Amino acid sequence: MDIILGYVTTILVFFFTYNIFTLGLNIQFGYTGILNFTVITFMAIGGYVAAVLAMPKAPAGSGIYYILGLNLPWPIAALGGVLAAGLLGYLIGQIALKRLRSDYLAIVTLATGTLLYGLIGNGTSIFDGWQGLFNVPQPFAGFRTWTPLGYSIFFTIVTAVIFVFLWLFANRIYKSPLGRVMRAVRDDQDVVEAFGKNTFKIRMTAMVLGSMYVGVGGVLTIAYITALSPAGWTTGETFVVWAALLVGGRGNNFGAIVGSFLVAVVFNEATRYLPQIPAHPNLIPDIRYVLIGLAVILSVYFRPQGVFPEKKNTFFEVPLGDNSKTIEEHLAGGLSKVGEQ
Amino acid sequence: MATISNDPSTQVNVALEVESLKKSFGGVAAVDGVSFSVEKGTITGLIGPNGAGKSTMVNLISGALKPDSGHIRLDGHEIGGLEPHQIGARGLIRTFQISREYPDMTVMENLIVSAANQGERLINVCFRPSVGKKRDRELVERALHTLVTFGLYPLRNEYARNLSGGQKRLLELSRAVMADPKVLLLDEPMAGVNPALIEKLGEHIVGLNKELGTTFVLVEHNLEIVEKICSKVIVVALGATLAVGTMAELRKNQAVVEAYLGGDVRERVGS
Amino acid sequence: MSLFFLTLGFGLVTASVLSLLSVGLSLQFGVTNFVNFAYGSYLSAGMLFTWTFSAKLHFPFVLATVCGVILTAILALIVNEVVFEPFAKRRKSIFYMLIVTFGLSLLLDSILQIFYGVGFDKFPIKQSAAIKIGPFDFTGVQLLIILVAVVSMVVIHLLLTRTSLGKKMRAMSDNPDLAKISGIDTKSVTRATWAISGALAGLGGVVLALNTVYFETTTGDSLLFVIFAAVILGGIGQTYGAMLGALVIGVVTEVSAVWVSSAYKTDVAFLILVIMLLVRPQGIIASQGKA
Ligand SMILES: Nc1ncnc2c1ncn2[C@@H]1O[C@H](COP(=O)(O)OP(=O)(O)OP(=O)(O)O)[C@@H](O)[C@H]1O
Ligand SMILES: [Mg+2]
Repeated sequence: MDIILGYVTTILVFFFTYNIFTLGLNIQFGYTGILNFTVITFMAIGGYVAAVLAMPKAPAGSGIYYILGLNLPWPIAALGGVLAAGLLGYLIGQIALKRLRSDYLAIVTLATGTLLYGLIGNGTSIFDGWQGLFNVPQPFAGFRTWTPLGYSIFFTIVTAVIFVFLWLFANRIYKSPLGRVMRAVRDDQDVVEAFGKNTFKIRMTAMVLGSMYVGVGGVLTIAYITALSPAGWTTGETFVVWAALLVGGRGNNFGAIVGSFLVAVVFNEATRYLPQIPAHPNLIPDIRYVLIGLAVILSVYFRPQGVFPEKKNTFFEVPLGDNSKTIEEHLAGGLSKVGEQ
Repeated sequence: MATISNDPSTQVNVALEVESLKKSFGGVAAVDGVSFSVEKGTITGLIGPNGAGKSTMVNLISGALKPDSGHIRLDGHEIGGLEPHQIGARGLIRTFQISREYPDMTVMENLIVSAANQGERLINVCFRPSVGKKRDRELVERALHTLVTFGLYPLRNEYARNLSGGQKRLLELSRAVMADPKVLLLDEPMAGVNPALIEKLGEHIVGLNKELGTTFVLVEHNLEIVEKICSKVIVVALGATLAVGTMAELRKNQAVVEAYLGGDVRERVGS
Repeated sequence: MSLFFLTLGFGLVTASVLSLLSVGLSLQFGVTNFVNFAYGSYLSAGMLFTWTFSAKLHFPFVLATVCGVILTAILALIVNEVVFEPFAKRRKSIFYMLIVTFGLSLLLDSILQIFYGVGFDKFPIKQSAAIKIGPFDFTGVQLLIILVAVVSMVVIHLLLTRTSLGKKMRAMSDNPDLAKISGIDTKSVTRATWAISGALAGLGGVVLALNTVYFETTTGDSLLFVIFAAVILGGIGQTYGAMLGALVIGVVTEVSAVWVSSAYKTDVAFLILVIMLLVRPQGIIASQGKA
């Protein structure tokens, strides 16, 4: 029983964190049309920075090296990680968002990802190189004596609460005037600009917000598994998030949930049970990535709007049902909210 | 020729003034020292043969392109070299030669999102959601009125991508109205539109000009409608001003007839 | 001073490798107007195919290279036929084209990895002794790389200026709509372009592998942004700009080793890319088109 529960909590944490990544990418791509081809790098930066803020100084002579080691309480460290991810988004935005071409941004994100991967892997003194960080403190672990399962359940609840909050906030942005302008930028940036709106600022807002979302996912991931090395954030993982968003439905946060569930949980877990082939240990992950790549291409081809397309937004309407009056007379009489048509 | 008065008393009435504006693309001068002025509250036509540089002028005035040299003044203030959004925020709104609706948003959203000051700030999303809601109510009301005026009301909840070419033209104009422009710069709003709709668009432009006092600059190839609604017409050729006057005056102008109005256009004008 | 010339020599070799790769990417961008993020996979495919012919089937190396390059060109053609053509028919926006090439890079890399596995390999050829030319020391292989690149650039130049295909490619690059109206069979020009782009990627991959000696399936992807840097530096879609960009990036990244550790070579390329985007995003050779 405990084993099953432990498994379920792990899956749930996995599901929620991937969901948070997907929400972040949805704000960037689904709302605003920003092509972020290195989603997973923001997860890594968020996770690493939170970890080194929460960890104590690297013990001398242990062969382990990392920066900072400030031993900060987890909530502060977590905030630091999220801000670091946002800052990375801001810097990339400064380089690439001023230009109108969407491919430049894609190139810069990809280049930054490749660069940071190499820098962090080879730079042994930043986040301990290829070996990566381990023994990362878990949040609130010292509050009481937890049983391992008790802690897992507790962590799952924390993750779920954060996810729900972020989900509601992403929806709130979507429905707000800001979200509306973001979608207009996605549809045609030049026109929004011609209508007197600073599209650089709007795109930057989406870029940083999305990066921070992904950062939150990263902070939670490293806190749960208590370790992170470059092997855990290869380029392939970025595609998992893209596949989740494209399969679920860009611009629709409910679609983001479904996509994360289908791709990150069902698909990932299912492929895990494929038999291992000893002569070819990488075959399963490779096949997994072939399928993820196919999912990205095919979903764009057959159903670019996803399983759950973006919903139509309706507004206040004139009261219906009274055909004796003209629309003008209705308008003079005030408005009321009418449900979906 | 362009008559730009330096007399301050007449300057007051100038909404838009362009002076010796130049722009070349890799050595080819698309706009070559054009000068003209547009009086407040008028509908001014801007005509010229294909490739005369009209769209480039629109792009320069709206900030989409940066001028090589010259001046552009809106209400007497220099706007040359500003970013497009700065120019838009100062009340000069332009439309595009090819319809550019927001395809994945509804007609209603297309209008609402075009209004200035919607409270589209993150801080409002976080702490003051009521700001947006209150303004939205006003905007919805205005948008509905505008849609009724333009006959798009029944299509309000349709995705803009599903509209016909003519409907998209109407949408562009009604969207521009939502932005409360002082000067509206229309780049061939009647291109590819059937005659009945051309008539209707013309009426809308005249109506907006009368009711709201909006100044219009109309780049157009259809000289019939230009003659009908424009009080003044500027002819450009090879990136410079060729002549200014009413359509009737221009038709008598030998230079214009030869350089521009050539055979096929005379047929269209019917003279 | 000798370190300077040594690195400058390396720089010329790297520039030669990059010139093949960046011209291949830039030509295709010019004609099809979207960036191919799967280009790194073509590059890897080129070296791996050649490796199969040379190490497994024991072809003479030159013949193996020819086979590898042709196979990569065929791969590029197939991908165009199976993936890009159908998308172009559906008139997908640039967004989706970019996502598709991005997804394709994962797909192709993973397929290559299924066949070739992970880990490093090298071509079964001997390194030759150094030959002194002026202030430079070049190995025979390095000289060969430079020669291949120079000959290829001349061929590309002749192709673009002297052949009708080249003229059509330039016409499509300058103004696709006009090209179509004026009766150019844009579809077959696009096909030819993909074949050339694939061949250049393949050949570039082989000389890259000759230069770095060891390679693996991800080698192409790790070089991708260096190629982008060269292409953007020269002005995206500008063939001669790409040659110039390759020269600058190749030389600067290698010569930078005089001042910073050579481990940071690619970071220098990134820095150039960033500066370029901030200061002059249209590239050294500006094309003022497409506002
Ligand atoms: N971005 C650009 N790059 C290079 N040349 C350009 C560019 N934009 C316009 N041109 C050239 O500048 C000249 C003027 O073009 P423009 O589009 O302004 O003409 P126009 O008067 O609007 O023509 P039309 O009536 O056909 O719309 C043309 O010769 C055109 O080829
Ligand atoms: Mg024009």
